[in-house]
Formats: sequence, C-alpha cells, structure tokens
Amino acid sequence: MSNTVTVTIDGREVKAHKGETILELATRLGIHIPTLCYHPRLPLAGACRVCVVEVERARALVASCVFPIEQEGMVIKTNTERVLAARRMAVELLLASGDHNCLLCESNGHCELQDLVYELKIERPRFPAESPGHSIDDSNPMIFRDLNKCILCGRCVRACNEVQVNQVIDFGYRGGRTKIVTAEDRSYAESTCVFCGECVQVCPVGALVENKARFAGRPWAIKKVPTTCTYCGTGCTIDLNIVDGTVVKITGNEDGVTNQGSLCVKGRFGYEFIHHPDRLATPLIKENGQFREATWDEALDLTAEKLGQIKADHGPDTIGGLSSARCTNEENYLMQKFMRAVIGTNNVDHCARL
Amino acid sequence: MKIFRSHILVCGGTGCHSSGSAEVIKAFAFEVEKRELKDEVQIVETGCNGFCALGPIVVVYPEGIIYMQVAPEDAAEIIEEHILKGRPVERLLYREPVTEEVIPYMNDIPFFGLQELRVLHNRGLIDAERIDEYIARDGYQGAAKALLEMTPEGIIEEVKKSGLRGRGGGGFPTGMKWQFASQSMGEVKYVLCNADEGDPGAFMDRSVLEADPHAVLEGMLIAAKAIGAHQGYIYCRAEYPLAVHRLNIAINQAREYGLLGDDIFGSGFSFDLEVYQGAGAFVCGEETALMASIEGRRGMPRPRPPFPAHQGLWRRPTVLNNVESYANIPQIIVQGGDWYASIGTETSKGTKVFALTGDVNNIGLVEVPMGTTIGTIIFDIGGGIPKGKRFKAAQLGGPSGGCIPVQHLNTPTDYEAITQIGAIMGSGGLIVMDEDTCMVDVARFFMDFCQDESCGKCVPCRVGTKKMLDILTDICEGRGKEGDIELLEEMAAVIKDSALCGLGQTAPNPVLSTIRYFRDEYEAHIRDKRCPASVCSALFTSPCQNTCPVEMDVPAYIALIRANRLDDAYKVLLKTNPFPSICGRVCDHQCQGKCRRGQLDEPIAIKHLKRYITDNASRPTVESIPVTRRERIAVVGGGPAGLTAARDLARRGYSVTVFEELPHLGGMLRYGIPEYRLPRAVLEREIDDIRALGVQFRTNTRVGKDIPFKDIRKEYAALYLAVGAHQSQRLRIDGEDLKGVYGGVEFLRQINLGNGAEVGKRVAVVGGGNSAIDAARSALRKGAQEVVLLYRRTRQDMPAQSDEVAAAEHEGVTIHFLVAPLEVIGVKGRVVGVRCQRMRLGAFDASGRRRPEPIEGSEFVLDVDMVIAAIGQVPDVSFLPKDIPVTKWNTIEVKGNGNGRTQTPAEGIFAGGDAVTGPATVIWAIAAGKEAADEIDAAIRQRNDEPPFQRPEEERIDIPQVIDEEVQEQPQARMLELEGSERVGSFAEVELGYTEEEALRESLRCLRCDMEL
Ligand code: SF4
Ligand code: SF4
Ligand code: SF4
Ligand code: FES
Repeated sequence: MSNTVTVTIDGREVKAHKGETILELATRLGIHIPTLCYHPRLPLAGACRVCVVEVERARALVASCVFPIEQEGMVIKTNTERVLAARRMAVELLLASGDHNCLLCESNGHCELQDLVYELKIERPRFPAESPGHSIDDSNPMIFRDLNKCILCGRCVRACNEVQVNQVIDFGYRGGRTKIVTAEDRSYAESTCVFCGECVQVCPVGALVENKARFAGRPWAIKKVPTTCTYCGTGCTIDLNIVDGTVVKITGNEDGVTNQGSLCVKGRFGYEFIHHPDRLATPLIKENGQFREATWDEALDLTAEKLGQIKADHGPDTIGGLSSARCTNEENYLMQKFMRAVIGTNNVDHCARL
Repeated sequence: MKIFRSHILVCGGTGCHSSGSAEVIKAFAFEVEKRELKDEVQIVETGCNGFCALGPIVVVYPEGIIYMQVAPEDAAEIIEEHILKGRPVERLLYREPVTEEVIPYMNDIPFFGLQELRVLHNRGLIDAERIDEYIARDGYQGAAKALLEMTPEGIIEEVKKSGLRGRGGGGFPTGMKWQFASQSMGEVKYVLCNADEGDPGAFMDRSVLEADPHAVLEGMLIAAKAIGAHQGYIYCRAEYPLAVHRLNIAINQAREYGLLGDDIFGSGFSFDLEVYQGAGAFVCGEETALMASIEGRRGMPRPRPPFPAHQGLWRRPTVLNNVESYANIPQIIVQGGDWYASIGTETSKGTKVFALTGDVNNIGLVEVPMGTTIGTIIFDIGGGIPKGKRFKAAQLGGPSGGCIPVQHLNTPTDYEAITQIGAIMGSGGLIVMDEDTCMVDVARFFMDFCQDESCGKCVPCRVGTKKMLDILTDICEGRGKEGDIELLEEMAAVIKDSALCGLGQTAPNPVLSTIRYFRDEYEAHIRDKRCPASVCSALFTSPCQNTCPVEMDVPAYIALIRANRLDDAYKVLLKTNPFPSICGRVCDHQCQGKCRRGQLDEPIAIKHLKRYITDNASRPTVESIPVTRRERIAVVGGGPAGLTAARDLARRGYSVTVFEELPHLGGMLRYGIPEYRLPRAVLEREIDDIRALGVQFRTNTRVGKDIPFKDIRKEYAALYLAVGAHQSQRLRIDGEDLKGVYGGVEFLRQINLGNGAEVGKRVAVVGGGNSAIDAARSALRKGAQEVVLLYRRTRQDMPAQSDEVAAAEHEGVTIHFLVAPLEVIGVKGRVVGVRCQRMRLGAFDASGRRRPEPIEGSEFVLDVDMVIAAIGQVPDVSFLPKDIPVTKWNTIEVKGNGNGRTQTPAEGIFAGGDAVTGPATVIWAIAAGKEAADEIDAAIRQRNDEPPFQRPEEERIDIPQVIDEEVQEQPQARMLELEGSERVGSFAEVELGYTEEEALRESLRCLRCDMEL
C-alpha cells in the first residue's frame, strides 16, 4: 500500500501523506488556514470550527485541523464563500459570547481572537455581546483568570490533562453556561493546581494571564530574550519578557528542545529574585563581624586561600562540597571534579538528594 | 403449563403505572381471590400496550376486549359482569372520539387495527420480567439460528437484505454498519445499544425496553456474532428506572439460561452485556459522546473520522445501534431479510415505531409499516385532534427535526420523503400541534432545548444556538426587527454546515422548517407585534381580544357586566365595533375558540354576553359629525364592510356617500342572514346610527348601471369597493338550469326581499357552510316538508358553525354526509330529483381534510322538487372598469401585505370585505372596513402632505380589577331558545338572550386574562 495519495487543494494537484490532516498538508504547502482551538503541541479537538474547509462530496464543512486525508482524489477548497461565511460567523459569535473589550484586556495585541477578527475583516458586531458574568479568579499571585474572556477553545484543558497530566481543569456545565472548571468549580488556589502555568501558556486570549505581569507592559513593548531556566538541570528554554531592561514575566519557549514551551511553577513564576533589592550583586567578605563588598578576584582569592589552609592543616577529608540542583550538569560535573582532583576528597554531594 | 379460562392483562408500562395500574392489579387479585377464581383466571402485568392516554388499560383474553381508564373500583364489576356473566362492561369500553361509536374489541379500534406490530409484537402480551414468556413467543430463536447455523457474513447479508436502517435517527443501513465493523481489524470489539432517548415527547425506546427487553438483548447477541464482539453495553438513561430494572432482570435471567456468558448454545461463542446508566444528557445520544461517557469522560462528541466501526469505544471497532433497531433483528434472522423487506417503501423497509403525543386524541406508541402517511397516523390511528380543533402541524424528529404542515399530511413515512419536506424521521417522536400552537414559540422551545443541551464544545452550536434563541425570544416578546428572519436563516445555514456533531448540525432544523411553512407567522410577530395563535403572551393582553379581528376588549366589557355597569360596557363595545348587537347574535366568535377558560371547562359565552349588553344597556345617542374635510368619499356596497368604512371616515370629517344596489342597506346582514338569527329591527338600529352621523345613502343604485363608474370616480376623492360576494357558485352538473334549482344566496335574498320565494315540498340543499344551513333552515320555515342537506365530506369537516348545524338538525333537517350530487333530474323542465353518489375519504387535501372520492356504483336518486346549491359564493365584478384587475377567483385584487392591504392597483380605489377575500364572516368584513378607512384617510393625507390622523382622546372607562382567587369548574350558561314547535313557519328569533342572572353567572366565569398579577 502506498503511503501517499493525490489530492486537489485549491485547484492544485498535490501528493499528501496518508493520514495527515488537511491543515498539515496546507501548512506544508504554504496555504494559510486560520485556526483557534488548534495548538501544535496539543491533542486535536476540532472544536472552534474556524479552520473549516470544503471537501467535495462531504455533507458539511469539515474541520481541517482534524480531518485526515485518506481518500485518493479528495478535492479540498480552503477559501470559498461558504467557508468564509462559516469562519466569519464562528468568530462573530465568539466575539459576542464574552466580554471582549480589548481596551481593558491584558492580551490586547497578543490575542488570537483579535487577530482573527481582523483577518476575517469583521467590521462591526452583528450580535449583541453578552458577558457570561463569571466572577474573576484572582485567588493567587500566579494565574489571573477572567473566564468572561474565555472562548472555550479547550486548549488549557488539553494542556493540563494531556501535557502536564495534572488533571485540574475540565469543561463543566452545558450549553451557554459551559465553563472551564476545577473540581467543584472552585478557584485555582482552592484546587489541586500546581501552577505550572501550562494553561496560561496555551490560552489564545486574555482569559488566563500571568497575574504579576498584568499592567507591566504591552505586548508590543515587550522584548523576548530566550535563555535557559536557572532553576534546575533540566534546562528548559525560557523567554525573558523584558520591558525597559526589566524582566516582567517569563514564558516557555515553544522551540525549546527540552521543554517545548512547558515550564514548572518555579521557572515560570519564580523570577522576582532577578530584580530583588536584597539580591547579591557582588561578593561580600565578613570582617570583624561585618560584611563588606568585595571584588570577585578578592573573594575567590580569599576562598582559595582558606581552602588551601584547611587542607594543609587538617587534610582534604575535612572539606565537603555540596552543589545545587539549580546548576547545570556541566557545572555539577566540574564541582565533583574540583572536589576530587583539586581538593582531593570524595566528600561531594548534591542538594537534589536531600 | 397450566391452562386458564381467562387472562386479564393489565398494562404496567410507565404511562399506565403513573395512572395507577399497580392499584388496579391489586384490586383484580383481590377480587379473583375473593371469588375463588384463582385456577381459572390469571392476572398478568404486561409492558406498555401503547394506548397510554387512556390508561390504565386492561385487556381480557381470549375475547380480546379492551377496557380503558380502569380504576381499582372497576375490578369487581369486570370480574362479576364480564368474567362470570360474559357481559362486557360497556362504560369502560373505547369510544371513538368523533363518531362516539363504542368499540369493544382491541383490534377493531383503528389505533390498533392499522398498526403492524413487529418490534412491538410482544407488547401487552408478555410479562417482561419472565424470560420464559419471551421464549414461548419464539424468543431467542433468532440468536440460536445465528449462533449455530450462520456465519457472520451470512448474518450481515440477511440484515442487508432486510433493508433495515438505523432507527435512532440517522437512517444509516444497519447491515453496512455491521459489515464495516466486522471487517475492522482487532481482537476486541464492542456492541453498544443506544437507549439514551432524550427527545422531548419520545418514549419508543423506553417502552420497548420495559415491554420486551429480551428482544434487545437478542438483537445485540446476534450483532456480536456478526462482528465478532464479546462484550456489549446498553447505555440507558438513569431517568428510566423501570427500563433499567427490567434490563437487569433480563440480563440476569439470560445469563442463568446460558443465553449470555460463555459458550452460548454450546456454539463456543461468548458474549456478555452490561447496562451503563447515563446521566441523561441529550448529547450522549450522539455516538462519540456516548462512548466517551462509557469511558468515564465527559460526554462530548469528537470529530469523525475515525468512525466507531474502526475506532469506537476505547478506540476499538464498535457497532452502535438503538433499541428499536436491535429489537428488529431477531425476527429478521428467524423470518429472513426478504420477509422484513416485504413491507415499506422503495428505500425504507419494514415498520417504524412512533411515539404519538401532543394535541391528538390517542396518545401512545404506534408501529406502522414504513410508508404509512403522516395523516393516517395522526387521524386514523391517532383519532384526530381533540376538542374539534384544527390540525396545524406535527413535529417529527424532535429538536433535530422539522414540522410537517397540513399540506403535507399525505407524506409517507419514508426517510427520503420526510427529509424532502424539511423534517427528519429521527427516532420517531411525533408531536401533534393544533391551531392553538404558535410556530415561532415552537421553534423557540426546541432551540432552547438544544442550546441547553449543547455540550459546549464547538462554537456554532454553543454560541450559535444561544444567539438564535435570543433572536427568537426577542421575536416572541415583541422585540423582533426586520431582518431577523433572514439572519436566522443565515445562522441556521452556517450552523448546519459547520457544527461538530449531529446535535448542532440539526439544531436549526425546527427554525428552518417553521420559517419555511409559517413565515407569515414570524412576520406577524415582527411587523404587527401579533401572535396569531395567542401564545406569546408578551404580545397581547387576553387571547380573546388578540383573536378578535377588531380586537374587542372582551375582558373589559365582561368585567363591566359583572359590575352591572352596562352603559359603560356598551361604550366599550362601540369603541371598536359599530355593530355590537349584530355581532352579539351572528358573529362566528373565533375569540371563544381561544378563550383560556376553555382549557378548564368551557369557553366564556362571549357572543351571548355581548348581546346581553346591547339588549339591556341604554343606547348612547349618536350626534351627527360636521364635515371638516373637502374630500368626498364614495363607498360602493352597503354591507358591513362598506358601512364600517363609511362610519369611520365620517367620524374623521369626510363627506361619505354609500351606493347600494338593493332597496335596503345591510348587504349580507340583511339579504343573507335569516331573520330568525338577526331580527331586522336590530339591524336597522345600528344602520340608523351610521345614518345619524351624516353618511349619505343612495339605495337602489347600481354603480356601473344606474350611475356610470367614471362619474363617481371623477366626483369622489376615493372609492371603496365593498360589494360583497352575492353570487352562488354553480354546481357544474347537468340539470342545473331546471326550474326549481336555486343558488343559496339567491334563495335567501328572495326570502329577505320579501318576494315570497317559492319553496318545494322536498328540498335538497347542497353544501356544508353557514349559508347552506341558513338555506335549509329557511326552507323549513317557508313550508318545506322535508329538507335534506347533502355534504360531500364528513361532519367534522363542515365549515358551518357546529351550533348552527345542531340547530338545523334539531329543527328537522336531515344531513347526508359523504354524498355528492351528480345530476339534477327534471321532467318537463322541473326538478323531480337529484342523482347522487356516495363518497369515501381519500388522501388529505391542502386544507388538512380528507378529499372525498366517489364510490363506484353507489349512485342513488333522491326525490326532491327543489335543489338549493350553496357550495360557495363569488363576487359580481361585472361593473368594474378594465383598469381594476380581478383575481382568478373573481375577487378584486389588492396590493396586499405591506403596501396597503386595501389599495387596488388603481389610484384612489380601495376594496375590501368578501369582494376581496371571498366569502368570510361579518366580523372580518367589519375589520376590513376599519382598515380601509385608515388607509383611505392615510392616503389622502399623504397626498396632501398632511400629518397622519391623530385619534381623538377617548373617554376613559375605568375597568374593575376584580379576580376570583379560586376557579370552580362550571359550564357555560346555556342560552334559552325557542321551542322547536314554535320555530315552524316562523322567522322569530331563535335565541332568546340571557337573563340578568345568567349573564352575571357567565361573566363571573371570566378568568380576566387581561389583568397583570
Ligand atoms: S481576549 Fe482578545 S479579543 Fe478578548 S478582549 Fe482580550 S484582546 Fe480582546
Ligand atoms: S497551572 Fe498547570 S496544573 Fe494548574 S491548571 Fe494550569 S496547567 Fe493545570
Ligand atoms: S481559558 Fe483560554 S485556553 Fe482555556 S478554554 Fe478558555 S480560552 Fe481556551
Ligand atoms: S482549529 Fe480546527 S476546529 Fe479549531
């Protein structure tokens, strides 16, 4: 059995891999299909219906993000009037289904719904907008949740349940009252949430935002600097979101090899130390019971001198080394090398074992 | 097995259970015990018998006599009279709702007789909790055959041959579905049964599960063998406790008998089953959501493909069918696919079970051969619409389906035919709706249901249905705007096209189909803020006022009668109606049909109360109104429409002249309606009031003959043509021109002109409308010895008012139904008889009545010397100049809706009343006259660039706000009438009017729907 089929998409006859979705094929060919509930890292849902396309002989439009190409000779059209009408209606409806006053929204300028409204040239709302009237969840310093802006794409649910497997949130209620809920519909703080923020990372709109970063800077003012998280040896790639030289939030870098955008609560939310006034910026040396600022050379010289002294006076085994889980593998390697080869002792350990 | 002399089968289905069948069983057991009949009579509790509306149902075998609405107290009588003495208890027998005929035998009742029981073949016959009884009726034979003698391919072949299609709604061929699953790779496969019936009004699955659970088990077992599955689940809603209970009993008994479990029948094949109770979410009827729910996840659909046949429950190949589909399988295997396919239509084979509910006499479960028409189900099996109301539409397919209006009653129950008219077969919920149903409200109801049950996953369904519901609610509450219908249509199209699962894709169907067939009703809500069916309560104060064509304030004047303020009551009447004393006698009182009191006992006698006021109040004097406008207006025709228009225009300061061809004014009021219904003095009084306003009358003046049309056209600023419909329609049969053949209106006119019409001894009147009745009763009074009325349809189809029909019969008119004249026979130019033919009822016509069809060889001759043809009237439009067009029905053409309903295409010429609509009623003519006055005035003002007419401040009449806390059942106060003997040869008024005491009593019955609590 051959693994390719020939299909026609927007009039182009192309080879497609059997089983790939229409969206995958289109993306490969550079044909743009708008999406909303789709997220490359998440299981497919086919829920928002923004990515619908026309497939000849199908009873209705199909969601390109989930529809697998199996049939030889399939004819796909991605931008007919019928398709555009459905897309536009879906976005118009979403716009009317919540409290989308972009001026008052943290995600303004960084919002997939906003982008779609623009892309689909929706000039004025046809349906009266109605806020669902959910109360705002400001229960914790990490995640700020305003479900009145939630478009129920379900990305957060899939992220929490299938990527992080924390199983904290799911769809609750039915019909117009449908809502993303924690067990018994409580606040995040009262739930089993571990605040990894995976949900925030994937939320396309302003429903889930980093609480501490609210009002800290507009998306267009933010400069993203990719770096490696300093908390542990996993080496997640993070983006420092910097405004005027200040790190205002941290987001997972979706291209990060180790983490693909996922982070843990520390990596994502534990960044306040960066600009903390108590943070040590230079080494300190204690003299007569008082710390004084010193240079690195001065401090390293003093440490080398003291370690050498102890080793000479009392032998190398009186010295022990303990390294930090926040160090990288390489640093830990150097640490044990240093203890064994330079100090001459096996007294070396690592905080992760404690 | 023990032999009993008699079996008493008491229905124990959910319907009968709730009407008290458990107590009935106890009572029978007690009686049998008491009379020591235990060895002779066995009492059996059966599953649903289908005739739920008249439960508890009891059937006595071997006779097959069926009792309805049996109470525990009746048990003794049935045992004593029927079982011991062999005399069926007549008062508990079935009575045909229309003909009142008593029918003792179950199979003679059309409800049962027209059905073909396959799925339900055990209904009412076996005790569902005893597997032996199922086996005794050939149960598990199909399974034995399938497991021992057939290959999976063979089974699938047989099912394919049967043509069985999924009975859950989709209609996908069952055999094909099985084939896909059987060809899917995999060791582990599943067979699922969808018993999550959730449509409002549907209870097919429940009844089957309760009455015959083993049939479903057996069907699933056969399916399992066909696809190679060893485990099955029945997904049943937890709201069906009795079904779940019986299923569990059935499963346990089947296991005990080795019919489930390992190595069934020693065939080496194993299969077991479990019941899974769903929480009753409608969406769990969708297959992928159902499977998610069994897997323990939230019942939310997922996109397909992959289809369940490849990846279903736990991603294994799965077959899912509904209860009814499975229940068909055992018989298909035993009797063969060809047997099954021997009934039905080209594409839809076998039978279909319908749950018949709503406004229909026989509510219950019916199973009919596919192809049976909707009309047959509703009218023959269902016994028609209760309380003599008219059928409006039937909703088929629940919230995913559509409505079937009156013009489609002949549609066969066939998947494709049903889809074509905008409904779906669905699982078979058939909700009948009568004329008191508002179709916008129906659409709103189903949309509310769907939006409530939406799983919330996809946008078109979750948000789209909500927004559609908002629009529908706005329309129902008077906030509808132009463009709403089009927006609904646009949204419906997109939602159908882009929603994820069937729930969303079909949710717009009820809206689309109600718009398709009842667009005018949507428009009435949006443009006129009117709910014609008097349902959307935000749009009216009381249903009677809403129904009245001139919106008479009924509750107000009834309240004033109660307060004994009759003079004020009269003023209220005159506000909207210039002819209250006439209407108090001859109005067809459509208001009473919508009176809410009618749902409790009987409607208020609104017409009689109106007459009471006009008979007893002092009449306000009418002052002439000065002419303040220079435009003169001519009204052609002095009937109710013309007189009303003249009055309203005069009151606005116009000089109005009415031209009337006949010697007196009144039109049909004088020349059509006989004096015994409307005394002339009463008529004169109200016409005099109009004369007193200053309106000029020119009688004996036929426009176009006595005065040229173009002259009046020149002289008057506007013309109102209200010439009525004064020509009888011809019978179009031989002998019609013989001496002694009259048209109905012509005959009545002769009498009323006082020209001493000649009346025969034996008179035949042809027709079923009010003028036929009037002609018949008049002929009797004029000395005919015998009057027969020939009507080609049946009594319930008669357009005449039923009280008029009753009065005619009371006076001695004989009515022959289902008879049509073929020829008037004459000798020497004079009538000596009519040759007639008997008719039978055929298919339904566009009016929802069955079309009469001649019966070959049924001809007979009636000896009569006079024939009156009263089958309809047409306007005489011969006087009209060419530029005023007429329709093909010879009525005057008006521009219609939105562009002036009374404006003809000719400038300055307006028309209304019967001349435009064809024969209608007095009150519609009055309404037409009012409308014409408004439009004529508005047109003149517009031409002059004047501001629109401002209604002068009306005298405020304070209406007492009294309401009775408790309503006691009490029928209408009867109207006293002349004795039959006093009516002979006399045109004295028949109805004598209410006494003060009667009127007061009647007024107290009013529920005061106008009051806000
Ligand atoms: S979530 Fe997006 S569309 Fe909604 S208010 Fe925020 S920026 Fe605007
Ligand atoms: S923060 Fe992490 S654990 Fe908490 S809800 Fe979001 S994804 Fe789940
Ligand atoms: S919170 Fe965000 S990610 Fe979650 S469903 Fe709502 S919009 Fe989607
Ligand atoms: S992106 Fe495909 S359905 Fe949402």
